[in-house]
Formats: sequence, C-alpha cells, structure tokens
Amino acid sequence: MENYSQDYKIERNDIANAGTVASLTKRALKKRGLSREFVKQVTIGLYEAEINVVIHSYGGTVKVVIEDDFVEITFQDVGPGIPSIEKALTKGYSTASSYAIENGFGAGMGLPNIQSVSDEMDLQSSDEGTYLHIKFFITKDCYAS
Amino acid sequence: MELKSVLELLNAKQFNLECPRCVKEINYAFVCDLMSDALMLLKKMPSHIGAHGALVTGLVTNQALRTAEILDLETIIFVRGKTPTQSVIDLADEIGITLIGTQLTMYKTSGLLYINNVKSHESVLEES
Repeated sequence: MENYSQDYKIERNDIANAGTVASLTKRALKKRGLSREFVKQVTIGLYEAEINVVIHSYGGTVKVVIEDDFVEITFQDVGPGIPSIEKALTKGYSTASSYAIENGFGAGMGLPNIQSVSDEMDLQSSDEGTYLHIKFFITKDCYAS
Repeated sequence: MELKSVLELLNAKQFNLECPRCVKEINYAFVCDLMSDALMLLKKMPSHIGAHGALVTGLVTNQALRTAEILDLETIIFVRGKTPTQSVIDLADEIGITLIGTQLTMYKTSGLLYINNVKSHESVLEES
C-alpha cells in the first residue's frame, strides 16, 4: 500500500483541537485494514503526546509516517523542555498546570502511557525543547481478521 | 442495555438526537474525569468484547470525545448536570458518539448502571 506521510503544527494551549492528529491518523490506519487493537495503541500514544505538546510546550510539530511494516511518529516542540525525564516517566508524576487538569489531563500518566503502548521510544529534552520519536511495528497480527 | 432504558433509568437526555451513526445500546461503562486514566486502563480492552461502551464523566469538552473516540467507546454520559456546548455536540455528530446527560452524581449514575447489569471494565476482562 502507498506510504503515508503527514506533517502537522500543534499550537500552545490549543486544547480544543488536541487529538485531531490522532483522529485523522486513526482513520488512515483503519483504511489500511489494521485491527482496532493495533490502531488503539498507536492513537493512544499519539494523542497523549499531542496533549503534552499543547499543555507543556510553546508549540511544535508532529510528523506521522505509515509504511507497510511500521508506523513512526516524531514530535518536536519548542521549550521549556522536561527537567527530569526519569521523573516524567514515573506514573503519577506531574508538573501540569490547573488548566491541563481542568481539561482532563495532568494525571502524570502521559509519558508512561506513551512508553507502554509503543515498540520503540526515543525522548530527548533540553530547555530549548523536546524531541519524541515513537515507533510501532506492523506484523501480520496487526491486521483485522 | 438499550439506550432508551438508560435514559429512563438516569432521567437523562440525549444531546445529539439526529446523529445517524449513534448507538442505541450500552453494555459496559468506565467512569473517570482524568482522561489519561481511561487511556491507560482501557488500552488492552478487546474491541470485540468491549462493544457498546460508555464513558461516564463530568468533563464536558472535546477531550472527553477524543478519548472516547480513541478507545472505541460509543457513548458519553455527562453527570452532575453538565451540558456540552454546540461545538462539542457537533464534533460528537461528526465522529458518531452518542452524548447523554443526567443531573445525577457520578456515584449514583454508576450505581444505577451497575445494578442494571451494565458491566464494569473488570467484569468484561474476566469474561474475555
């Protein structure tokens, strides 16, 4: 099937539109005949990361690539970065604002969730911004029966 | 449980009556206001078993809808008299999610659903 590659911009504090990329990607994955279970894992990771960019960064971009044997998602945002990646990967640890919590996020489950659903995760952060790359391998079991 | 019966049980109203893709049945429910908790706990729910699921929440925003969409939950029950804006209702129509609302608290809503055999996340997993 033809490879899929889409780039999106994510605006700071644009909570109303957070999840749009996950929704569009869900449709693209379903069109390729992938199972609901596989699609759910990919879109959970994508959605949580979208939310993180919206609520924690000054804005950023995301690139979604779907090929025959993998899905690859790359986020790059602009500051302030993650002070401690180790703490951020701990379930329940959160630096979220009351704005994020009022909107249903900030439980400290975002990055642990992304890590648990993805097959590969690369997270790098400095005070200039954060880079997140997640990958999901597509095997024959990932297709709807 | 048929949607009509759920509406009667919770003295609830459906916000998007004209939604053609909206479901008419609720078989299991999950309750939360923090969406990451739902995403974490329901990510392994087998879709064929977890059909006709409902998210019970006080969060009346697009994010409740996006969470339900990603988790293949087809209904959202807003508790404590929360009313969604028209833009939230429009998004629900677009993605095919049934929106209903009740004045009841989350505790009472959950209790009524539970005693009327709407399954919990745990009981769905036990049966799988």
